[in-house]
Amino acid sequence: MELGSEEGLGISSEDYDSLIATTDVELLKRAWRNEKASPEILQFQTSLVQRSREQIQLMEDTVEEFPKNCTDPLTVSLYQMDLDRMLFVLRSYLRTRLQKIEKYFIHISKSDLWNRLSDQEQKFAKKCTDYMEKHLQRSVLSHLPYGYQSILRQSISSEEDDMVPEPRLDTFVFCKSKGSVGAFQLDDSGDEIVDLVADDLYVLRYKSIKSLVESGQIDLV
Amino acid sequence: MYGRRASQLLKELSSNEKSQLTAFNTDMFGEVLKECNTHHLELQSLMRKIQEEGLDMQTTRNADHFGAVIHHLSLMRNKRCLMAYAYNRAEVIQSLRWMVGPVLPQEIQAKLNQSEKEYFKNHSAALEAYMSELDLDLTVDMVPPKDPYIRVRLLDDIGDDVVLDDQTHNFVRHSIHLLKRTDAEQYISQGLMEELSG
Repeated sequence: MELGSEEGLGISSEDYDSLIATTDVELLKRAWRNEKASPEILQFQTSLVQRSREQIQLMEDTVEEFPKNCTDPLTVSLYQMDLDRMLFVLRSYLRTRLQKIEKYFIHISKSDLWNRLSDQEQKFAKKCTDYMEKHLQRSVLSHLPYGYQSILRQSISSEEDDMVPEPRLDTFVFCKSKGSVGAFQLDDSGDEIVDLVADDLYVLRYKSIKSLVESGQIDLV
Repeated sequence: MYGRRASQLLKELSSNEKSQLTAFNTDMFGEVLKECNTHHLELQSLMRKIQEEGLDMQTTRNADHFGAVIHHLSLMRNKRCLMAYAYNRAEVIQSLRWMVGPVLPQEIQAKLNQSEKEYFKNHSAALEAYMSELDLDLTVDMVPPKDPYIRVRLLDDIGDDVVLDDQTHNFVRHSIHLLKRTDAEQYISQGLMEELSG
């Protein structure tokens, strides 16, 4: 997957960096890191996942072809390792998302986070909700007196859903911006302003930089 | 004291090590449920009393009102505790699917109640449906790979004609093999092999 060294291709190191940063492998790694570090579920990278899977398929075919062509075993093993790593990142990405869904399915299905899931994930979330509801209904709720049987509310007198687990958005995350974002307002009152410089590392509340993560201006690490 | 049993129930849950389960405490759980219904009866009788005295339910602030509030709050607290108990156990059960696999060993099965067993089966099926739709097994590859091959030792007889990767392996107990990590992982998670490090 990696391109050759920069001298070999005769391009400047800046071009090389930007070229590397936009390969699917790098993009997938970025999506994976963001997903791992963010407390809430992010937009599903439909086309990126699609492309990565095609590339993995291609690599698998290549690796399978090697023994027939009597390629050097070392080369085969290097390719195999690269393939394994990419597969790991892809699996871990999908897994991290599923685990968030398992935890916050009710919260996700009631808010606009729902649109961030892939079709398959939506199906999974629906089933999760059904089964958990069934289980809780059967073991707890159906035995409780009338007025206290809701899965979402503590009792009939609650005015809103106050029993839904939600991710903690005010938790701190490490982040790094690729380009200079400039002065950025951290809270609504405008008291705290941070000058986000490219490639500097910050520890900020997720809530305040949420919009930058979603627009891809900043990366979580 | 109101609500003590429920908190004991949760203490029992939180004293477990993470991702470990003890047997479902049906007795205590039932006691708390009974307590809930007692609170409800008390609550209703106090409300009836307020009504019989011809007082307005919304504005009355006498002893009966505050008695009713205490029963209401105790009931709600018990509900939260019961839900937390069932829900947190369910979360551990979910995580077992990732760590142990689709079939739970007998000793874990014995600790679940009927509804939990069913929940595990359902949840596991949902996950499998997702994976088969994607045509990608997500339960392997749990740690970042270092080397494509690992050395493993057999902990039990698996069979002498297991075909992996076009090669027949003689998997007898205590034998040592060099396998592809992805192939070996399923056996390791089932406890049939162990990885030899170093």
